[in-house]
Amino acid sequence: MKHSYVTALILIGVIAAIAIGSQLLGIRLYDRISTNLLISLVLVVGLQTFMGNSGLLSFAHIGFMGLGAYTSAVLTIPSQMKGMALPDLYGFMKVVEISPLLALFAAGALAAVVAAVISYPLMRLSDAASVITSFALLVVLYTVMNNWSAFTNGPRTLFGLPKTTDMPVAAIVASIVVVVALVFKESRTGKLLRASREDEVAAAALGADIPQLRWRAFILAAFIAGIGGALWGHFITSFAPKAFYLKETFLIITMLVIGGANTVTGAVAGTILITFAYEALRGTEGALNATSFGAGQVVGLTEIVLALAMIAVMIVRPGGLFPNREIGHILTRTRRKKEIVA
Amino acid sequence: MLDIADLSVSYGAIRAVRGISFTLRAGELVSLLGANGAGKSSTIKCIAGALKASGGSITLEGKAITSASPEQVVRAGLATVPETRDVFPDLTVAENLMLGAYIHRRDPAGNRENLEKLNALFPRLAERSSQPAGTLSGGEQQMLVIARALMSRPRILLLDEPSLGLAPSIVERIFEMIETLKKSGLTILLVEQNVNQALAVADRAFVMRLGAIVASGTAEEIRSTSDLSAHYLGG
Amino acid sequence: MAFAIQFVIDVLSLGGAYALMALGLVIIYGILRLVNFAYGELIMVAGYTMFLASGSGLPWIVMAVLAVGMAIVFGILTDYVAFRPVRAKSVTAVLITSFAFSNLLQNAALLFISPRPRNVPLPDIFSQTVSIGGAITPVRNLITIAASILLLAGVAFLMRRTTLGIAMRAAATNFTMARMLGVPANLIISSAFALSGFLAGVVGILWIGRIGTVVPGVGLEPLLVAFIATVIGGMRSLPGAVVGGFLLALIDTTLNYTLSQDLLKFRDAFTFSLVILILLWRPEGLIRGPASGQRT
Repeated sequence: MKHSYVTALILIGVIAAIAIGSQLLGIRLYDRISTNLLISLVLVVGLQTFMGNSGLLSFAHIGFMGLGAYTSAVLTIPSQMKGMALPDLYGFMKVVEISPLLALFAAGALAAVVAAVISYPLMRLSDAASVITSFALLVVLYTVMNNWSAFTNGPRTLFGLPKTTDMPVAAIVASIVVVVALVFKESRTGKLLRASREDEVAAAALGADIPQLRWRAFILAAFIAGIGGALWGHFITSFAPKAFYLKETFLIITMLVIGGANTVTGAVAGTILITFAYEALRGTEGALNATSFGAGQVVGLTEIVLALAMIAVMIVRPGGLFPNREIGHILTRTRRKKEIVA
Repeated sequence: MLDIADLSVSYGAIRAVRGISFTLRAGELVSLLGANGAGKSSTIKCIAGALKASGGSITLEGKAITSASPEQVVRAGLATVPETRDVFPDLTVAENLMLGAYIHRRDPAGNRENLEKLNALFPRLAERSSQPAGTLSGGEQQMLVIARALMSRPRILLLDEPSLGLAPSIVERIFEMIETLKKSGLTILLVEQNVNQALAVADRAFVMRLGAIVASGTAEEIRSTSDLSAHYLGG
Repeated sequence: MAFAIQFVIDVLSLGGAYALMALGLVIIYGILRLVNFAYGELIMVAGYTMFLASGSGLPWIVMAVLAVGMAIVFGILTDYVAFRPVRAKSVTAVLITSFAFSNLLQNAALLFISPRPRNVPLPDIFSQTVSIGGAITPVRNLITIAASILLLAGVAFLMRRTTLGIAMRAAATNFTMARMLGVPANLIISSAFALSGFLAGVVGILWIGRIGTVVPGVGLEPLLVAFIATVIGGMRSLPGAVVGGFLLALIDTTLNYTLSQDLLKFRDAFTFSLVILILLWRPEGLIRGPASGQRT
């Protein structure tokens, strides 16, 4: 148990270092990248609470992020702007305007409720079927966001969200989410769920209702995704449904898988690593496009490199960088070993 | 014909088979006896290529097959009937037999001839040839699995617990059939818990316990060994 | 009457295409217990092959054969890149590598060809219509029905009457036992990927024939269709995939005819809700696959 505290402290330390580091540098670009990183961290750690404990891949995560972003948007866009931003919004909603903090919780809550209702029958499916249906779920959520113009402005960009997410807010939310993920991992639900991943029969014999456990993890993950979506919405302030689709999904799965889906440490490490790799590659693409050789034609290079990296990691180190032990665990173990040697 | 030398099989840290050695001579029926968990099935699976040996060697007619894949082993002339009685349940009896002859698929005439011989040996299977194998009784499935193995025209047959879970009258018939196969000149390695019947058909036998061979000799010698039952009762 | 004919033709042509898509996915899943996320990209590969060949002046049918051939090649390539290196490690690992491979192919199309739609050459017959019993119907729907009947019959023949097909079915229930009879594992797996690529190639031409253009994301809808159809039909049964495909087409077509324009945009959401209801009733899908089975 003690090493969980160490892990929490170290990971929060890393988050603080990113936040303070970028503030000290005082370059706006770094500020943007770091805030983005921390929001991604919320999403990736959220996905880890489901995938890391249940062992099931979920593609629907970004869909719940989208739900959160739109929920918060509808609740916070100032009423005088709503006529322009959301012309088709139902009358009674036009007057609603709540504080962004409250909207953050509402976003998480709505995502969690939707997840709870839809996913209940899906958690009983075999692993392959549940992954497939989670993919279908992502497509459905996207279809709804793309077409429910009253709430989302359809496929067009929705604008006018108050910019309330800044670096400190993102850092605080990210820290809380990291702690929640660690607590969930060590909770009875988390432990039974991880036991079920190793051996379904044995876990069932311990009295674990596996679909029920998976369901709880899925709801928690959706709640965090909803919050992450709201956070992102209030950072970027305008977005369209296509922001919540396959490209984003690919990115957060890459982050989690390369870092190591089984550990919160892996989720954090993967997010940091891939964010920097992504920015560097995007920069390269931009530079190529600026030359006469590229001439604005270089698209997709980043994704190709990330896809190759993901396949390579799966072959060489299928558990990712931190396959089973949290950082705190690793450190306390090595220290104990040193003590024994001494 | 088949030489096993210092063979070991491990599952992770657990050593199921600890350096056993024995030889099968052509035309012989050798029984491998022992209680549950003695390492008999692991030995069979390892010879069949379904498990990797962690040490030692397996030689078939002078050719090393220690790390051969299951498909190479059957091509080398060694067919296996696993204890799990694995018929392909939704394939018909005829399709199951046809797959048994997979390595001879370019010789349909030879297969037809072989099938006729087997039909004489297993008349029940001939009657049910267009039925899905999953609808057969346990005894019929066992017959099918043996017949299927014989379709590969092996020189050595490994039989893993052919009587497991079957009614006494059917066990009787299975052993009769094993005798017939032996008389036809086939070399057989028979793993059994049914000691008396196994020894009745065997030329020689080995007793395994905790992954090692603890007794060997002719069937007569093994039968007269007073502590045989002790090996089974784990005493 | 005309309406009924129209409806039946729509269901059959859509269902035929859906069934072929689902079949191509289940052939891999049945044998390896692994889902191929890069399946939709095989359809994309067929489409781009047609586009790239369109300037060559070759007869259309040669281009079509070439497109199917490329889909087969990429099917086998999927095995070598995404499946073989990680097959023994975990189910999730393969899901991730095939998802990555899917992204890789899509972005390669984006980078090397174009993000914009590209025209695919189609014979005139694809754009003609005929009247059957008063129902005006595009000829390509009839071609799709004919092609799917032919292919489904062909696959049934392959699976029931040839040694390779019987070996594939055997491998799908008990891979180790099949190997112990001398059935070579790698041949079976490569054949399954080749067959999957073949079905994707043909269905790709028929599918892209409806729109006339190919884009990098063209494989997504067929992949989704195959996913849903196989989950409805039962993940491990070839007949189940076909039933699931036709059932999904029936649901989609019915919704097409009954939903108002406003609601039609949400068709996928309605379809998915129905799928959830089916799964509440039968979590294994409508048709149960072979009872046993293991991965290697």
